[in-house]
Amino acid sequence: MRNNNMVAMILAGGRGTRLFDLTKKVAKPAVHYGGKYRIIDFPLSNCANSDISVVGVLTQYESVLLNSYVARDHHWGLNSKDGGVFVLPPREKDETGFGLYRGTADAIGQNLDFLDQEEAEYVLILSGDHIYKMNYAKMLNDHIKSKADATIAVLEVPLKEASRFGIMNCDKNDLIIEFEEKPKKPKSNLASMGIYIFTYKTLKKYLLADEKNPDSSHDFGKDIIPNYLNDNRVLKAHRFVGYWKDVGTIDSLWEANMDLLNNQNELNLFDPSWKIYTEDTNTAPQFIGEHAKIKRAYITQGCIVDGLVQDSVLFTDVKVGEDAKVVDTVVMNGAIIGKGAKVTRCIVAENVKIPDHMVIGDANSENIELVTKNTVSKVGVKDV
Amino acid sequence: MCNALGIVSFGDTNVDVLGMSNYRPVAAINFLGRYRIIDFLLSNMTNSGISNIQVYIKNKPRSLIDHVKESNFNINSKRGKIHVLYGESQITQEIYNHDISSYMSNMEFIERSNKPYVIVAPSHMVYRIDFNDVLNKHIETGNDITLIYTSTDHAKEEFFMADIVNIDSGNRVTSFVKNRGKYKSRNISLECYVMSKRLFIEMVNKAANTSSLYWFKDIIAESCDDLDIRGYQHKGYVACINSLPAYYRASMELRQYQYAKDLFKQDWPIHTKTNDSCPTLYDNGASVSNSIVANGCQIEGTVINSVIGRNVIIKKGAIVENCVILPNAYIGEDTKINTCVVDREAIVHHVKKLQGTLESPIYVKRRDRI
Repeated sequence: MRNNNMVAMILAGGRGTRLFDLTKKVAKPAVHYGGKYRIIDFPLSNCANSDISVVGVLTQYESVLLNSYVARDHHWGLNSKDGGVFVLPPREKDETGFGLYRGTADAIGQNLDFLDQEEAEYVLILSGDHIYKMNYAKMLNDHIKSKADATIAVLEVPLKEASRFGIMNCDKNDLIIEFEEKPKKPKSNLASMGIYIFTYKTLKKYLLADEKNPDSSHDFGKDIIPNYLNDNRVLKAHRFVGYWKDVGTIDSLWEANMDLLNNQNELNLFDPSWKIYTEDTNTAPQFIGEHAKIKRAYITQGCIVDGLVQDSVLFTDVKVGEDAKVVDTVVMNGAIIGKGAKVTRCIVAENVKIPDHMVIGDANSENIELVTKNTVSKVGVKDV
Repeated sequence: MCNALGIVSFGDTNVDVLGMSNYRPVAAINFLGRYRIIDFLLSNMTNSGISNIQVYIKNKPRSLIDHVKESNFNINSKRGKIHVLYGESQITQEIYNHDISSYMSNMEFIERSNKPYVIVAPSHMVYRIDFNDVLNKHIETGNDITLIYTSTDHAKEEFFMADIVNIDSGNRVTSFVKNRGKYKSRNISLECYVMSKRLFIEMVNKAANTSSLYWFKDIIAESCDDLDIRGYQHKGYVACINSLPAYYRASMELRQYQYAKDLFKQDWPIHTKTNDSCPTLYDNGASVSNSIVANGCQIEGTVINSVIGRNVIIKKGAIVENCVILPNAYIGEDTKINTCVVDREAIVHHVKKLQGTLESPIYVKRRDRI
């Protein structure tokens, strides 16, 4: 059933350069998280749970895996007759030829024909690389009720961190009067989450104009929103309370995983009323062996554990050998921790095999070490 | 590509997992944390390229229909079909509720299949097999019926009341007897038969005409002299889940990776219904060893030698030892349970100690609160 004519558009073209080798072959939204998920599962599941039927996913950087991943829309229950997940990479066009997406606004601007075809009345713009749970239906209600041209989801951040964000200055009715990108002296602590609802008719005009502007960076935050404000359009701030994380760096990706070890964590993936859906991996349940010691860990299907796992998160199909010690570490899909090996404060990348007795990482390190196939071949085996 | 119609039969009256089968057919009993027993046979069939399958249900169809409908067994959803069928005709007494009567009342669907062969197998025998190998052997030999069997040295403890199959030196099946646990080493029938569809229909009709109490296996046993029935030995792991102790024993064996690895091969996935549970949180105070744990659990207590189903909660100070805990069960603070089977959504809270035995594990009913 199509409950409303809001079409979601997920911006999933980002590379995430500060995740180094983790995004060498996959775009950031496809990076694994939380044992069994990929980051893009969060906006996709939020769409499904908010009764959105049509989701476009705009991909660009290293998109082979991401395109085939999101195309299996039944994983999120988005395979209704009227709906679906539609992969929208840049394409060759009759008049303009082949052009990459030049910015977030351009990505949508190049797909106005898709939005026309789906008869969108409202467009929900999402980022494919944020971890959070949110009911977009409530946000749409807010948008309609306040007769806004655009509604922007905002999060209260500590004032001292506000200068890292796009900050919304609002009146007493939460109508946005000013937008400042990374202000040195922030006047408010309401940060934009990069989640927008636009009334499509108006947005279309602005996007068409923006396409023709040679000085534009074709970005929602830098160009479209300021243009709306200049024209005295009604912009509403929709306040969000809860867990929200943009995992841009190895350290923040590690932290976001560690958050799941806290049984009171706000993301609460155990909540049956707002499940996060993901691919179905056909893996066996977890086998916890005779020698296993597990102290505070978050472990998913397909793992075989026979060593110590402490304050760590194990992703699908991880093997931890006998006498191995995995502490304060995120071990990604299919990685193998050899017998007697010791891994501390690391992210072990997908399918990396840590040889028996190798020691890697340091309990007192400032930063989290990313362990890839290259690291493992460079570091020699030390005696324990 | 296996050119056969798959028929999932139900076990005879000797197959009854006491207590648990009050709520669902044996095929739909939760197994190894995240599966239902039928998943292993259906995965064998679809992994072998069988995409037209009939699942026969004797009674209590709800959970099995839900499960089969909502699982993805990896077949083309237009050309393939898993058809859930049950006896449509009125059955006045339970003794008339057998496989032959189910086949008779659904004969039009069997006849409609365009596959020249059928592979008939019950779901309570759990093993991994490529049916292509069996069908190819059957076609190559040119015999009437091929029967899959396993050779065991544990016929005294396992496969109780299953069929012992006697095979002559030419690999021909000569007779069947019930296994009453007297002998150690025997060949046990896995009750999986491969034959042409034409012969299958003929046998079903013959059984119905001979006696209205006949099961399919009765007419097979009676035909050993007239038909060329050959044995096909299956060499891998087999669990025969035909009673509560047998279910318990199989669970205890398969929680150990050295047994389970024979069923879980990378190129032979076991398909099931995904529940979209998040991973399991081993919280402060948890101590887990020698166990299978499914996703979605929150464990703060001790778990030893057990099978823990999806979304199970084990509170602080609880000790779960040698147990099978089914999905969504709750084991309260400081409870000590040993050698128990706790059914779905049961709450063990007020009783602080439960101790069963290998021969008769304690069974806590579905949705029970104790």
